[in-house]
Amino acid sequence: MISVRGLKKHYRVHKRAPGLRAAVKSLFKREYTTVPAVDGIDFEIKPGERVGFLGPNGAGKTTTLKVLSGLLYPSEGEVRVDGHLPQKREVAFLSKIMLVMGQKQQLLWDLPPADTFELNRAIYDVPRDEMKKRLGNLVELLAIGDVIQKPTRQLSLGERMKCELAAALVHGPKVLFLDEPTIGLDVSMQVVMREFIRTYNEQFGATLILTSHYMDDVAALCPRVIVIDKGRLSYDGGLAELVQRVRPEKRVAFRLSAAVPLAQLEALGKVVRHDAAEAVLQVPMDQVNTVVGKALASLPVKDLTVENPPLEEVMSELFSRSRADAAGKGRAA
Amino acid sequence: MGRYLTLLTLQLRTSALLAAQYRWDFLIDGCISLVWAATAIAPLLIVYAGRSSQAIPGWSMNEALVVTGWFILLQAILDGAINPGLAAVVDHIRKGTLDFVLLKPADAQFLVSTSRFQLWRIVSVGTGVAVFAVAFHRLGRWPSLLGVAQALLLLCVATMVLYSMWILIVSTAFYVVKVDNLTYMFSSIFDAARWPSSVFRGLLKLVFTFVIPLALMTTYPAEALLGRLEPVTLLYALLASAGFATASRTVWLLSLRRYSSAGG
Ligand SMILES: Nc1ncnc2c1ncn2[C@@H]1O[C@H](COP(=O)(O)OP(=O)(O)O)[C@@H](O)[C@H]1O
Ligand SMILES: [Mg+2]
Repeated sequence: MISVRGLKKHYRVHKRAPGLRAAVKSLFKREYTTVPAVDGIDFEIKPGERVGFLGPNGAGKTTTLKVLSGLLYPSEGEVRVDGHLPQKREVAFLSKIMLVMGQKQQLLWDLPPADTFELNRAIYDVPRDEMKKRLGNLVELLAIGDVIQKPTRQLSLGERMKCELAAALVHGPKVLFLDEPTIGLDVSMQVVMREFIRTYNEQFGATLILTSHYMDDVAALCPRVIVIDKGRLSYDGGLAELVQRVRPEKRVAFRLSAAVPLAQLEALGKVVRHDAAEAVLQVPMDQVNTVVGKALASLPVKDLTVENPPLEEVMSELFSRSRADAAGKGRAA
Repeated sequence: MGRYLTLLTLQLRTSALLAAQYRWDFLIDGCISLVWAATAIAPLLIVYAGRSSQAIPGWSMNEALVVTGWFILLQAILDGAINPGLAAVVDHIRKGTLDFVLLKPADAQFLVSTSRFQLWRIVSVGTGVAVFAVAFHRLGRWPSLLGVAQALLLLCVATMVLYSMWILIVSTAFYVVKVDNLTYMFSSIFDAARWPSSVFRGLLKLVFTFVIPLALMTTYPAEALLGRLEPVTLLYALLASAGFATASRTVWLLSLRRYSSAGG
């Protein structure tokens, strides 16, 4: 469905030092620098897949999505979406994709969302009866029946984002790019959006790429993740495997009936947290069984759980590690 | 083609809904229109005060009033139909929401140009027509059918030229983020169209005939209504508008290609 080969997108930006002198100078002689936003990535996505893009700020996620949706010309490499070259922006291509950007909105500010829906219906040439069915479905799934007739400016952020999604789906896109669709939403609203996105994918078999700041979005929605860092692809595969690779450790949490000296805990593994009633240890995967056995024998354990380390921590470790690598290389060079 | 007509109707409907939401704008725009008309006519009165005829070479005061009528009319078209949609482009570029326009399977220039109309500016069309009526009443004759036909054709031509100039200016927004100065400069230049073109001499005359064809916008249609337009002028006007339209479309397409959308 989507195939990306050797994709590069380099922005040419006008470089200007601060200060009036530099500003005047730049009027006559412009200096340019290149920002390698996307610097050679490859991947294939099959129809109906849900894929999450992960990466720190400025990694090139948005740029990749913009190239995939035909907004930006690739500087190098080839991109195909359902057989089309996105940068040609053919009507047939544009009619089957959509890009949703959590930070930008297409709804007309002073008018109710229903008017934007109608405008999009006309632009995409959706027959009226099909539109009625589709919109009915969207309104029900998103529970926006009583907000689509109110002017957009009167809606809460969550309501607005739900209507944004509906406006983006009026033409029933087969490929959906979601760039931080849940940004700024509260937790319960994030869950609603997530559920909706999953339902849309399952009902219509739409292919989906999602980027998000909230690791939970990706964990809940995307069986497959692609990690992008500084414009390069650094991982492509299952989320669980990624977590294992970055942190091949588990967390064992004990609830204690009596306080235990720190030294006794440290003998068992790395102590993440501990107080009189609770202790959390970090233990390599293959030693979990032995550690649990020892702990049960030697500690006053009331209860115990084994968990993966929190995703947010895994990611920040992954990204700081890649930065450290880069710094290391820089010094070596 | 049919789809674009449907779209235009829908966009007009959207603007009508907005106009209905802001009903009081009707009164405000009505008042503004009257003030505009007054400021357009006042300079004429001053220029012609005392020296009763031919203060402007070749134009009596009542004839010059016809030019003023066209000026008011074109100002209404500019403010009501051309300016709002294209101001929206500048806004889109600044906020990066032009992305949404470009994602649509329809011509981006059409979508943005028709995205917003200030419908209450229609009031000024009435004011313009009223100025014509007064002028011709005082002249003691009425325009011929041919004159009216020529004038209507020139109205289309003038609108096309104005629109193309705006597209050219808006296209610069892809290169420099602040176009306010340019639009301000354009408005100031357009202001000169309130005078019959014979007031300008030398270099200015050349500029206002060929570079920024103000004569084509108000003077020629006025001459058409007065029944003294040379047919060759009509031909020139048609060619000029075709030239402007082609140039603006080309520049627009080139600028779009350069657009790499605001970061985010
Ligand atoms: N329009 C642009 N012009 C120049 N540089 C840009 C532009 N858009 C993004 N960039 C740069 O490209 C890099 C990648 O940006 P982006 O794709 O937005 O990252 P992400 O979405 O992963 O946070 C960043 O360094 C950013 O500053
Ligand atoms: Mg981004």
